[in-house]
Amino acid sequence: MGLGTGLALRASMVAAALSVPAPQSDAGLVVLACEALSKVYRMGEVDVRALDGVDFALHERELVVLVGASGSGKSTLLNILGGLDVPTSGRVCFGDLELSAAEEEELTQYRRRSVGFVFQFYNLIPSLTARENVALVTDIADDPLEPEEALALVGLGDRLDHFPAQLSGGEQQRVAIARAVAKRPKLLLCDEPTGALDSKTGILVLEVIERVNREVGTATAIITHNAPIAEIADRVVTLADGRVQSQRYVGRRARARDLSW
Amino acid sequence: MRALHQKLRRELGQLKGQIVTIALVLASGIASFLMLRGAADCLERSRDLYYDRYRFADVFLRLERAPETLTQRIEALPGVAAIETRIAQEVMLPLEGMPKPAYGRLLSLPAGRAPATNLLHLDRGRLPERGREDEVVLLESFANAHGLLPGHSLPAVINGRLRPLLVVGIARSPEFVYALSPGAMIADPKRSAVLWMDRRALATAFELESAFNEVSLRLQPGASDVTVRAALDRLFIPYGGEGAIARKDQLSNRILQGELGQLSGIAGMVPLVFLGVTAFLMRMVLGRLISLQRGQIATLKAVGYSDREVGRHYLGLVAVVLLPGSLLGILGGELLGRLILDLYIPIFRFPELEFRLSPQLVLLALCASGVAAGGGALLAVRAAVKLPPAEAMRPPSPPRYRRGLLERWGLSELAGPSGMMVLREIERRPLKLLLSALGIAGAVSLVVLGRFGMDSIDEYLEGTLRRSARQDLAVSFSQPLSPRAAQELRSIPGVLLAEGIRAIPIRARNGHRVRESVLMGLPPGGTLHHLIERRGRERSLPDDGVLITQTLAEILDVHIGDHLDLELREGERAEVRPVISGYIDEATGLQVYARSDRVAALSGDSGALSSVLLAVDPLQTGAILHRLRDFPKVLSVSELDEEIGREREQHESVFRVWTTISALLAAAVICGVVYNNARISLTARSRDLASLRVLGFSRREISLVLLSELALEVLVALPFGLLLGRLWADQMMAGIDQESFRWAGMVSLRTYGMAAGVTLGAALLSALWVRRSLDRLDLIAVLKTRE
Repeated sequence: MGLGTGLALRASMVAAALSVPAPQSDAGLVVLACEALSKVYRMGEVDVRALDGVDFALHERELVVLVGASGSGKSTLLNILGGLDVPTSGRVCFGDLELSAAEEEELTQYRRRSVGFVFQFYNLIPSLTARENVALVTDIADDPLEPEEALALVGLGDRLDHFPAQLSGGEQQRVAIARAVAKRPKLLLCDEPTGALDSKTGILVLEVIERVNREVGTATAIITHNAPIAEIADRVVTLADGRVQSQRYVGRRARARDLSW
Repeated sequence: MRALHQKLRRELGQLKGQIVTIALVLASGIASFLMLRGAADCLERSRDLYYDRYRFADVFLRLERAPETLTQRIEALPGVAAIETRIAQEVMLPLEGMPKPAYGRLLSLPAGRAPATNLLHLDRGRLPERGREDEVVLLESFANAHGLLPGHSLPAVINGRLRPLLVVGIARSPEFVYALSPGAMIADPKRSAVLWMDRRALATAFELESAFNEVSLRLQPGASDVTVRAALDRLFIPYGGEGAIARKDQLSNRILQGELGQLSGIAGMVPLVFLGVTAFLMRMVLGRLISLQRGQIATLKAVGYSDREVGRHYLGLVAVVLLPGSLLGILGGELLGRLILDLYIPIFRFPELEFRLSPQLVLLALCASGVAAGGGALLAVRAAVKLPPAEAMRPPSPPRYRRGLLERWGLSELAGPSGMMVLREIERRPLKLLLSALGIAGAVSLVVLGRFGMDSIDEYLEGTLRRSARQDLAVSFSQPLSPRAAQELRSIPGVLLAEGIRAIPIRARNGHRVRESVLMGLPPGGTLHHLIERRGRERSLPDDGVLITQTLAEILDVHIGDHLDLELREGERAEVRPVISGYIDEATGLQVYARSDRVAALSGDSGALSSVLLAVDPLQTGAILHRLRDFPKVLSVSELDEEIGREREQHESVFRVWTTISALLAAAVICGVVYNNARISLTARSRDLASLRVLGFSRREISLVLLSELALEVLVALPFGLLLGRLWADQMMAGIDQESFRWAGMVSLRTYGMAAGVTLGAALLSALWVRRSLDRLDLIAVLKTRE
């Protein structure tokens, strides 16, 4: 069985399970899929069920926004999808790689080659300049963009040699995005990318994510609890109590620059 | 305050690795101080007690001969408290199985009373009976080395005649705490004999009735030995006085003093390394803890805790390090001190030498370590105390990085981004690198210090002695023989070469400057004994005149072209005055060399030989040794290889102890520095490291980022530490008695390698220990929190 058909098969499996309308015409093959995903944390004497049987798939070129209240399981889901965490039960597949059963080294390679992360607090290395922060990734990736190219993509072509402390919050987040996309990942996972920014800067950052999604075609998942952001998505998935409560397809994606909050 | 104590207790659990390693460094400091200073104190105490109780003299004088009546004039000198005269003569002891005869001193004991100075401590047996010419008391170290006991007989050549002596007692004397025979390299109890005989018997044998040739004095408290010596020198000019010497210049005391000086020196230096490192680690670990708990400090202050209470809370950590560290240090000091003192027991022969730590010394060690640990902690705690609550609530301002030197040097291209993370961290905190490296360097030098003595001995044995002595066997005779003896030995099958050597004990003199030495006559064109200087240069014998050891020339203040006054202390005891035609800068002892025909001319005999050097066919050594047994007058035969082997083995066992102790102490410091640095880097940079993991770096790759900073510290420290060790070695060698040894401090590649090995090994172990924590790095938790 070839990779493409495998993915396609899994996508139909997921679609059937979710019993929702098929994706819009421009949605591509499934990049990442998970089924019956559960995650239980043991907090002292109590078991906390962060995810409780989640089925979810992400398609090529798709931009998905995950919303939900605090504690609904969005971050846990994103961390498992990104290979930062492993589920207690259920399966996660990225192509032929079953993340839920992968070895440590396979997860490292997965993160190195296929996933880009953007976090709320940027997580740049303070001792490295913008260019060097991006080079951290391009040095170890297989077919990366040049750091300068990646930074130009996020509109920071003129801030190459600035250290994080010399950049504004929005600029730092854009460096983080450049760093995430420089490896030409299949997936871009963003956990509250605008959470620490004011609305004007936040919109700038969303524009960059939007642009990367559109121009590079990276499948993107954004976690937010800022409802208006959902308007830029192809699909909005709502989580509650560790389950997918609902999902809806947005007919026509709004432009980030038209948002306000 | 109970809640605050609770907080401290819980946090100590998280810091246990750090606490253990700092406590170990502190314990090493205390142990090294107690061991070294304790051993020095014990030696000093034993010395003082011994010197006092056994009336060790303050001033010594040798002379040719003076009438006993002169004692009244000495007594009349101001400042003199007690006086003892005696007769001293050379004695040769041709003991069976000895490679070379032992030369010793035969000293008189007053009849029927205890001497006024230099009393004997009788270990066994009794003193000689009045008038008995054959009874002697023997120096304990010599008797032990040969297994001689009261009742045993001992052959001795006294005044040219072989006489059997009866050992009646075994004794020690404050004059011979360190028994070194003239010209000997190292204390060799086997060769350093002292015999005491009844004065009347000795006087008869040497025709010195109612006369003496040595005098020693004890001075009144406060009297100046300089004045007394000057008066004594004036008094004894007509009697061949050789210049009075003060106690500080007396041979045994001088060597003991030198050793104590060295021991005190390192006792002052070595613990400083440990205490310095302790202070540094305390400052670093506590400093990090405080910066991590910035918010907590703010909360404590906000709810009403005073600055002092907050400070005291953090200083609690000092107590936790100090208590177990001190206990362990005292215990270690006691154990190691005993071990070290045991090494001294065979060298310095005191009636009593026992390791006992004085409470004052322990108190001093505790105070010093308290100051070090407390000082380091106070520097860190000051920051916590000074922090206003409102400021503490805010996150600290982010560290500032600049593009600068590293970029100018083009390092950023070379090192790559992860390399730059390391380099920028170092560039931002150069002092931390410097201090860490300094601590590690101190530890490295300690290993060198513990081992270099063996290298110096090896260098002498293998580098100088082996180049100088090319024979396989040395055959010595019980009395000088005619040159025919060499030809006879040459004719034994298997002997390839035989060269005769003449050695005459001499007394060299220039005015009141006198030294005992040996005049060596070597065959011109000989190949079995080479003259090698300490820097390795080979010298040849002058055609005329004598070659004098440079140090001897300096002591006597004689120069090339001068006539050297020599008394030959053999046969006719002729006084001769050869011309000095050159200096030789030898590594050991004080010798005078000349061609054997010149020596024969000086001594007036026809080229007599004291010993013959042989080069032999190695396959026939056994047979040759067997044949030599049948030769009359052969006193002994020694094999060079065997002698060198024995010498090395003896030292090796001593240095093994020093090396082990120093390596262990050094490892404690290195582990302390590396482990704590690694831990702190880990907490300070866990966010960066977690980010790298998220970006797809493997565990190995992030370990490299964490540990290469430490590796750099170690690599900077290593050459510096080796160099420091080398300098210490030179300084130690310079402190050794220059009349006996003038070896350059030598550090072998093996020792450097060992120091490097101990360092890298200890560093690697500590680093690996910390690396385990990297595997448990919680990527998500780290990334979800604001820094």
